[in-house]
Amino acid sequence: MADSNKWGMVVDIDRCTGCQGCVVACQAENNIPINLEEHFNQRRAIQWIRIERYWEGEYPNVKARFIPIMCQHCGNAPCEPVCPVYATYHNDEGMNVQVYNRCIGTRFCANGCPYHIRFFNFWEPEWPESLKNQLNPDVTVRSRGIMEKCSFCVQRIQRSTREAERDGVDLEDGDRGLNPACVNACATNSIIFGNFNDPNSEVSIIKEKEMKEGGRGYGLLENLGTDPNVIYLKKVDESVEVGHGH
Amino acid sequence: MALTRRQFLTLMGGSAGAAVLFQACGLPEKELLIDSPPSMPEDLVSGIDNWYATTSQQAGRSEGIVVRVMEGRAKKVEGNPDYPLNLGGHSALSEAALQGLYHPDRISSPLVRTGPRGSGEYREISWEDAIGRLSSQLNELETANESNRAVFVTNPQGGHLGLVLNRFVDAVGARHLAYEVLENNILRNALEEVFGSDSIPEFDIDNADFILSFGADFLSTWISPTRYARGYGEFRQGHEHRGKLIHVDSRFSLTAANADQWVHVNPGTEGLLAMSIMQVLSSSHPDPVFQSLDSEGILDSYSPSNVAGEIGVSEETIKRIAEEFSHSKHPIALGGGSAGAHTNGSQNLKAIYSLNRVVSNVGEKGGIILNPKSPIDDIGAAEPANNFSEFHTLAEEMKSGNVSVLMVRDADIYYGMTDTADMKAALNNVPLIVSFGGINDDITSIADLILPQHHFLEDWGTDVPVAGPGYQMIGFQQPVVRPFFEHRGRNLGTKGFADILMTTAQVMGKDLGLEGQTFQEVIKNGAKKLYELNRGQVVSNTFEGFWNGVLQRGGWWDVEAKESAVPDVRSLRGVDSPEFGGGSQQEFYIQPFVSTLGDGHYSSLPWLQAMPDPISTATWQTWVEINHKVAEEKGLSEGDVLEIRPANGRVIKALAMPNPAVPPDILGIPIGQGHRDGGRYSAGRGANIMSVLDLKMDSELNSLAWAATKANITISGEWMRVPKFENTVPEFPRDEHHSIIEITSGEHH
Ligand code: SF4
Ligand code: SF4
Repeated sequence: MADSNKWGMVVDIDRCTGCQGCVVACQAENNIPINLEEHFNQRRAIQWIRIERYWEGEYPNVKARFIPIMCQHCGNAPCEPVCPVYATYHNDEGMNVQVYNRCIGTRFCANGCPYHIRFFNFWEPEWPESLKNQLNPDVTVRSRGIMEKCSFCVQRIQRSTREAERDGVDLEDGDRGLNPACVNACATNSIIFGNFNDPNSEVSIIKEKEMKEGGRGYGLLENLGTDPNVIYLKKVDESVEVGHGH
Repeated sequence: MALTRRQFLTLMGGSAGAAVLFQACGLPEKELLIDSPPSMPEDLVSGIDNWYATTSQQAGRSEGIVVRVMEGRAKKVEGNPDYPLNLGGHSALSEAALQGLYHPDRISSPLVRTGPRGSGEYREISWEDAIGRLSSQLNELETANESNRAVFVTNPQGGHLGLVLNRFVDAVGARHLAYEVLENNILRNALEEVFGSDSIPEFDIDNADFILSFGADFLSTWISPTRYARGYGEFRQGHEHRGKLIHVDSRFSLTAANADQWVHVNPGTEGLLAMSIMQVLSSSHPDPVFQSLDSEGILDSYSPSNVAGEIGVSEETIKRIAEEFSHSKHPIALGGGSAGAHTNGSQNLKAIYSLNRVVSNVGEKGGIILNPKSPIDDIGAAEPANNFSEFHTLAEEMKSGNVSVLMVRDADIYYGMTDTADMKAALNNVPLIVSFGGINDDITSIADLILPQHHFLEDWGTDVPVAGPGYQMIGFQQPVVRPFFEHRGRNLGTKGFADILMTTAQVMGKDLGLEGQTFQEVIKNGAKKLYELNRGQVVSNTFEGFWNGVLQRGGWWDVEAKESAVPDVRSLRGVDSPEFGGGSQQEFYIQPFVSTLGDGHYSSLPWLQAMPDPISTATWQTWVEINHKVAEEKGLSEGDVLEIRPANGRVIKALAMPNPAVPPDILGIPIGQGHRDGGRYSAGRGANIMSVLDLKMDSELNSLAWAATKANITISGEWMRVPKFENTVPEFPRDEHHSIIEITSGEHH
């Protein structure tokens, strides 16, 4: 294990089916308000991780492509310098952190984020009394006027780090208590989480292999210079013509 | 990783033996490091959590889950990393179980109707009263020698709950029917004929290198999607050689979207394509499958030149698929969904599964692995549901007054039956409807007496999966939290379904012959039989140790206990052309599909309502997938309210959602909305496509051919915004130089 941590992700688009399992897992873990019909209609539904679907071509030669997108925890994050109150900043573990009780809701950061992964609470979140029993006590419920986004499930990092220290053991790569909720949920194993500072972690090994010339790895919009902490692995397409006799 | 998993599992135990880790005295050091940046937003001293293993049998699937419990409340569901079928991943459906548990509209005590039927006016009664009412009705029928006027309709149920249920209906002399909105009967019958067993075999997708799927949306909703998704990840990137998926379907499903090639066929011609592939292979693959067909000259009528036109593909395509399928090292053919939901559905599926016999992949790595019998004699997987026509007959019997008591549990025949079968009117004629529903699904909302069952996270159970992992296993379900309505006292609140039946039998003086006074005891005594086998993954020298181990691991399995026999091939007949309700006057084929709400049973859960449909990103409503060019010709745009009109005169309304992948003659309509009730997140939203389908049956089994209805559309002139996720954030620019898709040649591995 490395002395310091640099948390990051690898997302393999060739494994991902676009099933949305990760999206629901994230809602459950992070106390995301129920997205009601009217929230979708106002285009104000909140999803810290979302699946973008792209169409390519049209019937009968058509493809749909899926890509999960969450905060890229940019090393050089355009959302950070624009915040007048330092509610969003970069920590020393490679993560972009949102401090809810500092946020005053200018929404400058959402403007600055080229990945559009920041969501604003336009309303006070509401749950029927009984559903509140499910809320995760490790995660703050955000009130109206606050910006929120993917935190890499920081509460899990905190808890597992604390427990590892208490037990005098090292945090293990791939520990299910450490993994963000989306990573554990994904049945296809499309998302891997780990420490890029640890050369033996799975994410480091994949980075080493796939970011080379000819590998499948790339950073989303990396030409913007955001230095993302999420690596994507390209989909492979054995482009064959689609058969239809009509 | 192994160590991690073991540590994780020590926290999942269910009973007194569970390891509970306590924090060391005082605060952990890290908590005091206020300057530790990541702790700032989440600077909470969190309590102790425990993870308990149990099994979800929702939607008839078997998923091993672990549930995070803090201070007596369930907080999070994750997959059980050791459970053979899902190995750690889990579905949104399992996740959303928590919203079923804490649903604001759960029924918290037995109820008796006080107002007119369907008015929602009820009065709380005690359990004693409720069970007394049910048992006295059943007793009365018995005295009058009319016990067969009592009918019990449930979901198909296996495991120990299935045992209790069977004993109960036998003891009280009631008739039992198992109901599924989208029956798997055709599939299970076809499997029985092709592989000699009606259990759904394990598809070793993980190790296959070529999958040919017909109609089955196995990456999304079909049978055991979490298990198949796990295999799919490996199939794509777990081996040196990337597997290839060809999906044959009349609709562009999520599986079609993920296929290397989507082969669009005309609805109901999937089996013709399978026959044609066999015809191409018959000369090079002398196989018993062909002999009877060949000798009668049946096979030749399916040559590509004869059937390509009807199927709607080119002859070359058929030949190329046959070629690729037969030349792959580990090919699998599978089929289901709409391919089995036509008048020729049985024939389609038999032809499709026979392709596996042609390439002899049964029992082979990367092929079809047959499931062995249950390790315990009287405990098995759920039997197939009853056929649609039996429910149609039931409706007739109700109308003629031959059903006096109808008991229902997790089987919404009010919602799921097409109105052409007239079930709603028939139900009016049943003097007493008793529901065991924990939430007001549609049938419960018209019930006279409600005996609300526990949520599965509060109850015991066992699960012998219908689609097992290829070896013997039994999942164990244990209560992970105390019943939510426990505070209402012993005489109110909810009870476990099996315990309700056992108590009712006891009140009636019937001996069910079960080993145990409570369902928990029945299960524990059942586990003794497993213990006595002295094999499997949980080893202990005491039964108590074994029992704790099985609960901690979420079940018992023996990876060595496989099925070795590969039965003889049954004879395969030909495949007829499909027939449709409606004809050339109807412009479109209705293709119902399962989206996020299952067969409608889960419409009450807001996470599933709000989960974007993977293809359209639509939520909370009923929409119609229609080809974008057809829509343009008709002057339609997204949100226009369409009236779907089959020839039977019925009509539903749904929102137009044009997309470029829909075949021009298809209307894809999701199943699951259009409920009269189901609680605040479900009642009165969208429309139920099942309700307007024609009475078309499978020619062999009399199951509903739910993909065999044609329809016209009319434009109502109304418009409604489609609640969808697409465009919630500005379109994400695709970077030309860093496309998300790498296009490579076939050799690139
Ligand atoms: S759960 Fe996995 S496969 Fe499903 S959409 Fe998310 S990343 Fe993709
Ligand atoms: S993805 Fe957006 S929110 Fe996240 S660090 Fe980068 S710029 Fe900030």
